[in-house]
Amino acid sequence: MAYDPIYRLCRIHSCTVLNESYSMLEIIDDEIAGRCEPGNFVEIKPYKAGSVLKRLFKPISIYKVESDSIFLMIKALGRGSKELTKLNEGDMVELIAPLGNSFPMPTGKSIALVSGGIGYPPLWFLKSRLNADIKVRWFHGGACEKDIFPCDEAWTIDGSAGTKGLVTQGLVEWLKDHPCDAIYSCGPEALLKALAALCDTHNIPLYVSMEAYMACGVGVCHGCTVPIGTKENWNYLRVCKDGPVFDARDIRWELI
Amino acid sequence: MNLLQTSLGRLPLFNPVTVASGTFGTEYGSFYDLNRLGAYVSKTITNDPKAGNPCPRLFETEAGLLNSIGLQNPGIDLFIKEHLPLLREKLSIPIIVSFSGSSVSEFRRMLIQLDNCVGISAYEVNISCPNVENEGIAFGVDAGIVSELVKTLRAETERELIIKLSPNVTDIASIAKSAEESGADSLALINTVFGMAIDPKTGKSRIKRGIAGYSGPAIKPIALANVYKVAQAVQIPILAMGGISTWQDALEFFYAGASAIAVGTASFYDPLAPIRCLEGLETYLKDTDIPLCDLIGSISF
Ligand SMILES: Cc1cc2nc3c(=O)[nH]c(=O)nc-3n(C[C@H](O)[C@H](O)[C@H](O)COP(=O)(O)OP(=O)(O)OC[C@H]3O[C@@H](n4cnc5c(N)ncnc54)[C@H](O)[C@@H]3O)c2cc1C
Ligand SMILES: Cc1cc2nc3c(=O)[nH]c(=O)nc-3n(C[C@H](O)[C@H](O)[C@H](O)COP(=O)(O)O)c2cc1C
Ligand code: FES
Repeated sequence: MAYDPIYRLCRIHSCTVLNESYSMLEIIDDEIAGRCEPGNFVEIKPYKAGSVLKRLFKPISIYKVESDSIFLMIKALGRGSKELTKLNEGDMVELIAPLGNSFPMPTGKSIALVSGGIGYPPLWFLKSRLNADIKVRWFHGGACEKDIFPCDEAWTIDGSAGTKGLVTQGLVEWLKDHPCDAIYSCGPEALLKALAALCDTHNIPLYVSMEAYMACGVGVCHGCTVPIGTKENWNYLRVCKDGPVFDARDIRWELI
Repeated sequence: MNLLQTSLGRLPLFNPVTVASGTFGTEYGSFYDLNRLGAYVSKTITNDPKAGNPCPRLFETEAGLLNSIGLQNPGIDLFIKEHLPLLREKLSIPIIVSFSGSSVSEFRRMLIQLDNCVGISAYEVNISCPNVENEGIAFGVDAGIVSELVKTLRAETERELIIKLSPNVTDIASIAKSAEESGADSLALINTVFGMAIDPKTGKSRIKRGIAGYSGPAIKPIALANVYKVAQAVQIPILAMGGISTWQDALEFFYAGASAIAVGTASFYDPLAPIRCLEGLETYLKDTDIPLCDLIGSISF
């Protein structure tokens, strides 16, 4: 990690409801904003003056950084994420940021981004920091219409937006007549696994941002691990500190 | 006068706030000066490197945290070669090294190896991890084996010997007593409580390995009762842990008989928890002008 994380109270500058499941939070902090790189995430939880909320922080990817503003895109899933999507302008949050490693910048000229559901945000940040001469094709998939955000090709399981089917189908078609130097992905495990197999057969480098249940978020508890290494010699590495971005070829998918 | 002064047997502590093994690391040095702590306790190391348990290893319940890390650690050789020098470089407070073995002779070999290293103030002997099959817990449940283990280790070191006890036993007081009689300087308690969670929608265990270790606010009353029970049974000092997140929590444990405390899971809820605990205690003792040692064990009914 390039920088030490910062822990501080921050004010929600704006909270925008994107649809019934997703909200976008904006936090203004020049010091943290200056340290964020694509792939980094934050640990965040609501703050109530005078009492420590005895709940874990939630890991959320950095979606966008514009001057001193940090944007987070959050899907209401369970208790913790629901609380976050219900925050209002002026509410305070506790923030530990930035955390984790970042995506390696592409060396080739043509890449694909593949996201599923809430895997969308870190790829947006990556895209915003790419050199203008890099050709990008973004495939995004979700369960239904509300999981879909701006991209080049959208796929939904129920067909309510984009093409009905799995996002990997779109990628397979596209790869038939397009050169691709690398693929970057974030999303559900099943998607990442399928992509890893696909990239293996096509011999394309794949960088994935992994999800894991986290407690500390800073690398001390070893709760958030994935098996990394060769078939004969692997180790559990921490998603929060050694990741969240890994080269898919290093992940022992058969052990997950 | 330092109202916070305390001691764990032969180890004097400038203040009573330490951290619980496995829940802490120098990473927290990004947020405050680690040398303000009373002591630093390392994550448990074993003789051979340990990969740990498959994921998911964590699950947060209504009032606590389930974990099944399985003592993932780099093993004693790498710890001594790489981790210990780093700790020594960063810390001027006492360093307490937690370790665990799978047999009395392995515990002994490890202790001898560690005793050859400078910069270790004490050992926390982990005989209480619920998340591994062979290390730790197998020892912690049998007073006879605890006695043999502690006698063996006592014969090999002049350093502070802390024995960390499990609450998952029938009679913690008898285990504590046998550790005391065999030469332990102090006792650390409690390790995590057996716990489990299942997804009601799918029937799937939340933790890959099934039964896990439970920590956090939910286990504070259990920890308190165990500390009180052990304090009644032994003369040696107690390093207490289990759900401590505030200075008021810490005070409860001092009243019950603890000489020092460790903040564990609370650091995950609040990275500054140990420091807030320390500052709160300092203010309280100053305001009341009572030295900490006068509070220890002074519970009333
Ligand atoms: C590095 C990283 C980046 C992430 N980025 C985003 C993001 O940009 N936007 C977003 O909306 N979500 C993101 N997530 C997922 C988000 O952290 C979880 O959705 C959230 O923690 C769920 O908590 P909950 O209390 O709402 O749900 P729970 O009731 O705890 O569980 C709901 C579901 O989420 C899973 N889950 C629970 N806790 C965690 C956790 N701590 N980490 C991962 N999964 C968990 C559970 O297994 C369950 O399937 C990210 C996760 C990681 C690890
Ligand atoms: C993630 C995690 C890892 C732990 N690892 C260890 C360990 O390696 N060795 C040990 O003796 N105790 C370990 N423990 C137990 C704690 O040191 C402590 O005894 C217990 O969590 C109770 O305190 P708490 O409620 O304040 O966390 C661990 C606890 C947690 C939550
Ligand atoms: S969440 Fe604690 S090590 Fe990653």
